[in-house]
Amino acid sequence: MVNMIIYITLGFMITGIFFAVLRFIKGPTAADRTVALDTLTTIAMALLVLLAFVFKRFIYVDVALVYGVLGFIGVLVIARYLEGAL
Amino acid sequence: MIIYIILLLFLLLLMIGTAIYSIVQRDLLYAVIGTGVISLILSILFLFLQAPDVALTEAAIGVALTTIVFIITIRNTVRFEEEPKRPSKPASK
Repeated sequence: MVNMIIYITLGFMITGIFFAVLRFIKGPTAADRTVALDTLTTIAMALLVLLAFVFKRFIYVDVALVYGVLGFIGVLVIARYLEGAL
Repeated sequence: MIIYIILLLFLLLLMIGTAIYSIVQRDLLYAVIGTGVISLILSILFLFLQAPDVALTEAAIGVALTTIVFIITIRNTVRFEEEPKRPSKPASK
């Protein structure tokens, strides 16, 4: 039962990562690509927590924590550059 | 266990595709965002290969520091890379 739920969640995450990368490659403007990077950061954070649960190694949660703390800084800098106020 | 191997191969293919896109791209801002995506996927791959400390360092440096440094560099130089000039043919004798 738990394995079934984990597999379904992994399938959803693979689909999400695929479409986010597709939007990154296709996206016509720079804002599309920046939002795709932000979406990928969020999905990757959830995936890291799920992998920490699967492998039963709870040190892996720290990596997701670092992503949550630092992941927005790059997007913030790119957004300030696009605004023209960096 | 087969689904984790599928996930590993899928992430590897995505990372290679993004790297090729980021190399051939003429707009340097898009290339910098591409390096951010590469670093993100690479960190997940490091976690798959049982190296959480390397993944932690890659997350801290690749997502935040590299992007900031390259964006400041683009701010101070130009955003669009110029087309490579073809070498002119030698003048006929």
